[in-house]
Amino acid sequence: MTEVATSPGARRSLGLFFGLLVLFLYAPIVILAVFSFNDGDVSFPLAGFTLDWYRRFFTNPEILRSLERSAIVATVSSVIAVCLGTAASFALLRRRFVGKSAVSALLFSPLVVPYVVFGIALLVIFTAVDTFLTETTGSYIGLGLHAVVIGHVVVSLPYTVLTTMPLLERLSVDLEEAAKDLGASPSQAFRRVTLPLLMPALVSSFLVAFTLSFDEFAIASFLAGESPTWPVYLFAQLRVPSQLPQLLAVSSVVLAVSVGVVVAAEVGRSAAERRYATGSAPS
Amino acid sequence: MAATREVTTADRGWRRRERRASAGLLAGPLLWLLLFFVIPVGFVAAYSVGAVGLFPTDTGVVSLSSWERLLTGGSVYMGLFWKSIRMSLTVSAVVVLVAYPVGYFLALCVGRRKYVLVLLIIAPFLTSYLLRVLAWKVILGDAGVINSFLEWVGVIDRPIEWLLYSQFTVMLVLAYIWVPFVALPVFVSLNNLDPSLLEAAGDLGASRWRTFVRVTLPLSLSGVFAAFLFVFIPTIGEFVTPLLVGGTSGYMYGNAVQDLFTRGLDWQTGSTLALFLLAVVALLMAVFGRFLRLREIAT
Repeated sequence: MTEVATSPGARRSLGLFFGLLVLFLYAPIVILAVFSFNDGDVSFPLAGFTLDWYRRFFTNPEILRSLERSAIVATVSSVIAVCLGTAASFALLRRRFVGKSAVSALLFSPLVVPYVVFGIALLVIFTAVDTFLTETTGSYIGLGLHAVVIGHVVVSLPYTVLTTMPLLERLSVDLEEAAKDLGASPSQAFRRVTLPLLMPALVSSFLVAFTLSFDEFAIASFLAGESPTWPVYLFAQLRVPSQLPQLLAVSSVVLAVSVGVVVAAEVGRSAAERRYATGSAPS
Repeated sequence: MAATREVTTADRGWRRRERRASAGLLAGPLLWLLLFFVIPVGFVAAYSVGAVGLFPTDTGVVSLSSWERLLTGGSVYMGLFWKSIRMSLTVSAVVVLVAYPVGYFLALCVGRRKYVLVLLIIAPFLTSYLLRVLAWKVILGDAGVINSFLEWVGVIDRPIEWLLYSQFTVMLVLAYIWVPFVALPVFVSLNNLDPSLLEAAGDLGASRWRTFVRVTLPLSLSGVFAAFLFVFIPTIGEFVTPLLVGGTSGYMYGNAVQDLFTRGLDWQTGSTLALFLLAVVALLMAVFGRFLRLREIAT
C-alpha cells in the first residue's frame, strides 16, 4: 500500500512534517514544565533548578482547595454522566423506539453548542429559579459546585455515549440471552454477564468525562460562584505575576496526570474492543 | 383463528414491555437534558424577547427590539460576529491544510505503529485546554519566553509587542489547539480507503501524483469537510483564547456575550447575542451536520 501511495522521497518529507508538528504540539507544554523547575521568574536566562515552586504549591491551601473542588466536581459529574450515558447507549443500540434519530440528535447536541451559550443559559436559569424562590419562600439555591456538576454532566454525556457504544455494539446479545436460558433473571444476566464485559468501556468513559470536567473552564467560570474550581482559580490568579511559577508547577502535575490517564483509557478501551472483535471472551 | 389472536396479544405484551424498557433507559438522560439544557436555552430565548422577567428592571413587555438592534443598522455586535467568522474560517482552513498531510502520513505511510502515532498527536488535545492557552501566554508575553530569549541573546533591545494580544496570536493559538483533533477525521477517511483502488490506478498507468489528485483526494474529501466543521463550529463562539491572548484587537463575539453577562450586566442583549450564535450553529449543523459522522470517528 505504501508503495502505491507515496514515493520514498515524499514519504520522507511527510515524516519530517509529522515530526515538526509533534514538536510544535509538545514544545509549549515542555516549556511550561521546564519553567516550573526554574529558580526565578518565567523568562530567560534560566536561573537554575529548584523544587521550591512544587513545595510552595503543596503548602498553598487555596490551590489545594481548588484542586479538591475540581476533583469532587469531576468525580460526581462523571459518575452521573457514565450512568446516564450507558443507559442511553443501551437504548440507542438495543431498543427500537419512535424518534430514535431525534433522541440521538439531542444527546449529541451538547458537542456543538458553544460553551459560552450553554454557560450563560445555566446562569440565567439558576438566577430565574433563585428569583422565584426568594419571592415565594425567601430562600435560594445560589451558584456553586452543584451548578458546575449539572453543566459538566450535560457536556460529558455525549462523550460517554460515544465511548460506550462501540464496545456495546461488539458485545453479542447472545451472551445475555444464554445467561437467561441458563436460568438467570434479566437483572442477574445484566449484572453478572453484560456489566463485567462492558467494564472497559465504562472505565474509559469515566476517565474521559473526568479529565474533561477537571479541566473545564468556560462553563465553570459562569457557575462556580464563590467556590472556584482549579481552572477558574488558575485564571483568576494569572493577574498576579509572582504566582505564575507556582501555577506552572501545579499545571505540570495536572498535565502529566491527565495525559497518563487519557492514554491509559484509550489503550485499555481499544484493547478490549480488539479482544471482543476476535470473539474470545475474557476470563 | 384463535391461535393468531393469541400471537397478537403476546406480541402486544412484548411490545408494551419493550416500550417500557426503552422509556426506562431513556428517562434519565432525556430528563437531565430537558431540565438542564433544553429548558435553560428556551428560557434564554424567552428572555431575549422580554417574555419572562428576571430583575426588577425588566419591563415585562414582549418585543423584538433587542433582536432588531442586533440584526439591523450595522450594530457593533454584528461587526464582531463577522470578524469572528472570518477568524474561524482562516483558522479552520489553515488547520485542515496542516492536518491533511499528517493524516495522510499516518494512514498510508506507517505500518503497525500507526495507532501509537495517532495517539501521540491526539494526546495534547485531551489535556487541559486552559493550560495549553496559558503556555502560549507564557511563551509570547512581553517578559515571556521568546522575548526574554531574544533579548538575552541580543537580537532585540525591547520586547516585540505584537507577539501577544493580537488577532494573529488568537488565530495561532486556536490553530494549535485544534490541529490534533482535526488530524483524526482525515486519518479515519484515508485509513478506510480501499488500497486496491490505489493499486488499480497505478496498474492503469496513473502516476502517484495523478492517483492522489484523481483517487485519494476525492475519496477523502468527506473527511476533510468534517475536519473543517470540527474546527469552524466551536471556534465561532470562542471566548477563552481571546480572553487570555487576544487583548482588544483579538476580542471576539463570544467575549461580547461573556462581558454582557459578567461585566456589562445587560442580560437581555447578552441573551439575544447568545441565541443568535446558537441559531447560526444550528443552521450550520442542519446543512452540514451529516458530514460529521461522529460514530465513525469514535471507533
